[in-house]
Amino acid sequence: MSAGVPIVRQVVTFGRCLREAGLEVGPGRLADALTGLTHVDVTRPDDVYWTLRATLVTRAEEVEPFDRAFRAWFLRRPSRADGREAVPPPARRVLEQQARADRGAPAEDGQPHEIGWSAHEVLRQKDFAAMTPEELARLRVLLDDVAARRPLRRSRRLRPHHRGRVLDLRRVARLSLATGGDPLERAFRRRSETPRKLVVLCDISGSMEKYSRALLLFLHAAVGSGRRVEVFAFGTRLTHLTADLATRDPEKALAAAGDRVVDWAAGTRIGDSVKAYNDVWGRRALTRGAVVVVVSDGWDRGDPALVGREMARLARAAYAVVWVNPLKGHPAYQPLAGGMQAALPHVDRFVAGHNLASLEELADVLAGIERRHAA
Amino acid sequence: MGFETIDGLETALHDAGYLPDRGLATALYLSLTLEKPVLLEGEAGVGKTEAAKALATALGARLIRLQCYEGLDVQHAVYEWNYLRQLLRIRAAQEGTVSEEELFGREFLIRRPLLEAVESDEPVVLLIDEIDRADDEFEAFLLEVLSDFQITIPEVGTITAERRPAVVLTSNRTRELHDALKRRCLYHWIGHPSLEREVEIVRLRVPGIPERLAGQTAAFVRGLRGLDLAKPPGVAETIDWAHALAALGREELDAAVVEDTLGSVLKYHEDLELVRDSALAALVEQARAAQTA
Repeated sequence: MSAGVPIVRQVVTFGRCLREAGLEVGPGRLADALTGLTHVDVTRPDDVYWTLRATLVTRAEEVEPFDRAFRAWFLRRPSRADGREAVPPPARRVLEQQARADRGAPAEDGQPHEIGWSAHEVLRQKDFAAMTPEELARLRVLLDDVAARRPLRRSRRLRPHHRGRVLDLRRVARLSLATGGDPLERAFRRRSETPRKLVVLCDISGSMEKYSRALLLFLHAAVGSGRRVEVFAFGTRLTHLTADLATRDPEKALAAAGDRVVDWAAGTRIGDSVKAYNDVWGRRALTRGAVVVVVSDGWDRGDPALVGREMARLARAAYAVVWVNPLKGHPAYQPLAGGMQAALPHVDRFVAGHNLASLEELADVLAGIERRHAA
Repeated sequence: MGFETIDGLETALHDAGYLPDRGLATALYLSLTLEKPVLLEGEAGVGKTEAAKALATALGARLIRLQCYEGLDVQHAVYEWNYLRQLLRIRAAQEGTVSEEELFGREFLIRRPLLEAVESDEPVVLLIDEIDRADDEFEAFLLEVLSDFQITIPEVGTITAERRPAVVLTSNRTRELHDALKRRCLYHWIGHPSLEREVEIVRLRVPGIPERLAGQTAAFVRGLRGLDLAKPPGVAETIDWAHALAALGREELDAAVVEDTLGSVLKYHEDLELVRDSALAALVEQARAAQTA
């Protein structure tokens, strides 16, 4: 965001988005927002966010729609000068295609529009358990974007970089060829960043049945994101599903996974399943440095003490542990289930996962999570 | 009056003993640079009033506070004539006559917070506290004052602020404020702080508290907020409690000391009962686990 005019246009269009989301955004507030932006460091996304929020939001209820609009409008737009995000991310593309289809009009110029917002909104907030097959199909495409987010870790590997610290002797030598062997131009390398491993343990027992289809779609998208992801399903026993989900077609992937899992919609033994994972995969150091996501409602037939013990073991090795519980999306929910209570002390982040909006939250958590417990 | 950057303001607030999150710092910063009032909303005890006080300290400004209540009127918010002195003057001038101009001169004026803020030559932070408790008419009047910082006193004339005071309004959301008033203000919702920030706040406000105790105290209060309480504790309660625990010379939380001191955190009998009967042991356990992990 450097030149003046694009900022004005972005903010004005963003204001229109907000109005569609139900916020009252008049020209006065927009003017405040723009003036505010001239006083803060616009290269800091959080300052831009807080400036817009302080000037455009007037009540607590508006914070949530504002956040969603902000995420959609600023964080996913092609805005970086180096063009790294120049391709519209999948969710936006899907929205545009869908909106074009709605109007029966052909693609225009790839400019993002604020259309399709409300239809998308309904889908985002809808509980997975209440979705029709068509809605699930539409959800699938939206999930791609959400599923690709991951925290980064510093790799040992050095990559060419203009602000690096380590002299890239090989390239210096190459460059000096042009200047008669004198190393006039220097080249550097620095450590690159790679996504962390992601391990997902997904509860597919009876009590999770309503959610497992949508969540497996999410996992399919995660596996398909090309990053290092391992997926396991558990009910009374543990099944490794990564290979099955690696098929491009989600329907086929789900069918394949369904064939492999023997205990669909049966009871749950969380403690035993996590133990099985720890014993086999944990010992292979899959957990080490990984973000582990457990998806479960915490209803457990087994021994809560075992859940606590095995979750502690998992947490010690993992970079961070996230627990996704679809029930947490319900206002009255309290983590009273024995397995859930036993697991919570070993969980870094406890999030809902009952609709797309909450999965987006999960994606944000995954992208930003930091190690909390000591090594 | 103001700061060059948000960071500058953040540091100054920190020095004043207040740890804002980035959002609050940005809202206050914008309020100063755009010269607009800022409306702070949030649960009781999250530090709305403290924020205004810290802002005054940070700016080296005088804090003028108008505490709102139902039935607050112009006489208590803006000015009043000092009738007693007027009477005395009339008495003293028994022989001669007293002109009306003389009687309604500035020396007979009692300045209430709003007039004081408008008239002041020194930098001022005007805190209009709990605006939701005042009634509609007062809100409408306030709107006028906040739009041009002028106060008209029929007998005296119009008084205009030479320098606009920084204005902070707070509301507990017992009712929704008028849109017109909101339109004049920047807005920020202060939520409960993250665990890490709350630990920082405790350590800043209770100097010398053992690190582990600070962590466990914050974690325990956080656990309380997750329960279905009549009045979930705010940061203010966390600080009070940490003070109490530190004064008792504790290094760590345990069930017994929590039992004894819980009254400084929970102010409702039914909340106390609920926690004592069911959740106490588990919460202590959780707080200890969270801070030793």
